[in-house]
Amino acid sequence: MSELLSMKGITIEFPGVKALDNVDFSLNAGEIHSLLGENGAGKSTLIKCLTGVNHMDEGKIYLEGKEIRPSSPMEAIETGISTVFQEVNLCPNLSVAENIFVGRQPMKHRQINWREINRRAEELMSRFHLDIDVTRPLSYYSTAIQQMTSIARAVDIQAKVLILDEPTSSLDENEVQLLFNVMRELKDNGMGIIFITHFLDQIYAVSDRMTILRNGHLVGTYGIKELSKVELVTKMVGKDMDVIFNLKRADVKPDSRITLQANHIGDSSHIKDISLTLKEGELLGFAGLLGSGRTETAEMLFGASRIVQGEIILDGTKLNLTKPFDAIKAKIAFCPEDRKRDGIIGDLSIRENIMLAVQSRKGFMKPMTRQEQTDLANKYITLLGIATPDCEKKAGELSGGNQQKVILARWMAAEPEVLILDEPTRGIDIGAKAEIQRLMLEMCGSGVSVIFISSELDEIIRCSNRIVIMRDREKVAEIDGSSCTQQDILKIIAEGAA
Amino acid sequence: MKVSRLMQSKVTWAIIAEALILLVCFIIRPEFFSISYQPSTGMLYGSLIDIVNRSAEITIISMGMTLVIALGGTDLSVGALVAVAGAISLKFLRWDVLTYNTPGDYTVYPYVLVIFVPLIVCALMGLFNGFLVAKGGMQPIIATLILMVCGRGVAQILTDGKQFTTGYSPFRVIGQGSFMYLPMPIIITIIVVVAVALFTRKTAFGAFVESVGVNPSASRLSGIKADTVILIVFMITGLLSGIAGLIYSSRIMSNDSNNAGLNFEMDAILAVVIGGTNMAGGKFSLAGTVVGSLIIRTIVTFVYYFGIVSEATMAFKALIIAVVIVLQSEPVREYFAKRARKKEGVSHA
Repeated sequence: MSELLSMKGITIEFPGVKALDNVDFSLNAGEIHSLLGENGAGKSTLIKCLTGVNHMDEGKIYLEGKEIRPSSPMEAIETGISTVFQEVNLCPNLSVAENIFVGRQPMKHRQINWREINRRAEELMSRFHLDIDVTRPLSYYSTAIQQMTSIARAVDIQAKVLILDEPTSSLDENEVQLLFNVMRELKDNGMGIIFITHFLDQIYAVSDRMTILRNGHLVGTYGIKELSKVELVTKMVGKDMDVIFNLKRADVKPDSRITLQANHIGDSSHIKDISLTLKEGELLGFAGLLGSGRTETAEMLFGASRIVQGEIILDGTKLNLTKPFDAIKAKIAFCPEDRKRDGIIGDLSIRENIMLAVQSRKGFMKPMTRQEQTDLANKYITLLGIATPDCEKKAGELSGGNQQKVILARWMAAEPEVLILDEPTRGIDIGAKAEIQRLMLEMCGSGVSVIFISSELDEIIRCSNRIVIMRDREKVAEIDGSSCTQQDILKIIAEGAA
Repeated sequence: MKVSRLMQSKVTWAIIAEALILLVCFIIRPEFFSISYQPSTGMLYGSLIDIVNRSAEITIISMGMTLVIALGGTDLSVGALVAVAGAISLKFLRWDVLTYNTPGDYTVYPYVLVIFVPLIVCALMGLFNGFLVAKGGMQPIIATLILMVCGRGVAQILTDGKQFTTGYSPFRVIGQGSFMYLPMPIIITIIVVVAVALFTRKTAFGAFVESVGVNPSASRLSGIKADTVILIVFMITGLLSGIAGLIYSSRIMSNDSNNAGLNFEMDAILAVVIGGTNMAGGKFSLAGTVVGSLIIRTIVTFVYYFGIVSEATMAFKALIIAVVIVLQSEPVREYFAKRARKKEGVSHA
């Protein structure tokens, strides 16, 4: 196999930090190479350097033996390096075909040759075994198809190197398989693919080699068979994972009092009839596929969407929840699924993000002093180990895991009785994941009742006392968390009955 | 604070720009800075005083505009509300032609109505804007366009399309009186700026405004009643436009439904932007806005003072503002911040 891309001694300094320190990376033609590391390890910096977004202070990049120095994303694309980002950066209002050819439409008689565009687009998509109408707007299709469109564009401009940055984080299992098939096909055609993901299973499913970064340093490059998962994680995190994964399920006594109770609640559109109970200090897992009604149920319990039937009872009193404020007053907290859209307030400081829920419960006429806010923020920065120089840093500048911790801190500071966490570990690295799980269980230990929604069954099983399984917007089963396996849950999700 | 941090702040650049304009004035004609005391009126006189005095309306309105922009919106109706406030107050001040022939020192309705009815009406009109935005889900620029267009019409209807004049001396005090040697508009401006600053920064209201401006959805899920915040902000802006309207009509002792507050919305938006508040919403700086408003007025005064032909006023104003905005742009600020950082790096080493 020939070496396609080689990066040597890459060093990038940002004010105050060395984001990358003398990192080497190499990619062969016809290879899928995973790039691994925790958040802040330097993965995206390395990619940005390759795509011309960041400029390196030292080092050299060779593409097919020739030195290149991309100074802008456009230039990188012209030299043959294309990127597909986690959040698709195409135009949702243009058609699939237009998105593939935008900026280089085939012309005929000085006019855009639409027939040609649509034909070639169809041809490209059918190579990926996708039979779709390419004249429909991109926004009509799922994220998976949108990513395929992005990849199709890269294929059509004959990219030599394709970078996939967290492409799978919002795809379901089938879509992931579809993507993998496409990746394998491109690899067979000699393309070099750099694959970035947080899902360890996926790395083992498709990659040939992997390169691990930690704190801006190169840990090493390994063949896929050289490292076991545990070894890989140990190298990524830099400490022994056994300690981190040694979590203890919350201890709930049979006579613990019931805190939250929902009787036959339903919202105006999707959810018809959900009932559940939650005990003091208990962790209730919510399993089910995307769209099975997990999030909608959580939103009803938090007052983010209104219930049209049934009742919600907290500590024996019936709640009338019309807006999140009501739930917060009643000491219910909710960490939403979409951290960027519904959770973090990027332009505000960590301090302001943390104090927000406490302050909003008090109302704006009873302000906390600056000192109180700073003390509160610093307390949780230490408690949760948020990596930041001080509490005045903009929350949006933190890594994903640390942002999640800031949101968790916001709710911990509000001292809730019931804490609802919707996918709190999505898109964050394994070390932070384990820490969030530990914090969650610690909160249970201090008497908080937690509802934990996750798509990853292993973490649901590891942490939950009881597991509610949702399917097609209904609660289909409730099982004991300590005695079930992934197969049990999958069976219920697939077949319905318990 | 480090120089590099200062260089990155837009407010710093606004102050630098203002200083540069004043410096040019000083070089051309040092008497630009002279301030004298006029015993007959009990007021200080001079170009600098005049700049602050004449900027009062825009400064007052732009306090509200800062909050609207921090929410990620704009309020186009402020200029029309200035006209509405003037129309209402003059409607109450209108003398009875049958009793008196000329405007004099008298009012038909109690003075309390002359002052408070315009303010209440303007606040309610602001609330209407807020209602369209918060409950109707309209974009602020569209919602406020409604009152921008029909506000002047309302003013016309209220005054039957006529221009009234008055000589009522308590009303004259608002725009032409003095207190502690300073023109009254300056005093009112100081009170408004301090009040808005205290309200936003001594309560958590400012933080809520910024939070809603950056991310409305996350703010709501954190328990902030975003609708209430929006309603309050638009109401404040309406009220402040009313105050500016009273000052404006007191200066001319008349109402002018067509020209009162004309283009004030543009100047107010400009003052906010020069002051360093991002049009996309988020962090806001009231101090920056005050400087922004002063810059705009300094340019106008400069033009008058140095006798530049009046046809060129607008072009000249645009030119200077363009320079200010370029100075504040990301690349320029980053360039100077980098240089400052380098120097700091050297001095540390």
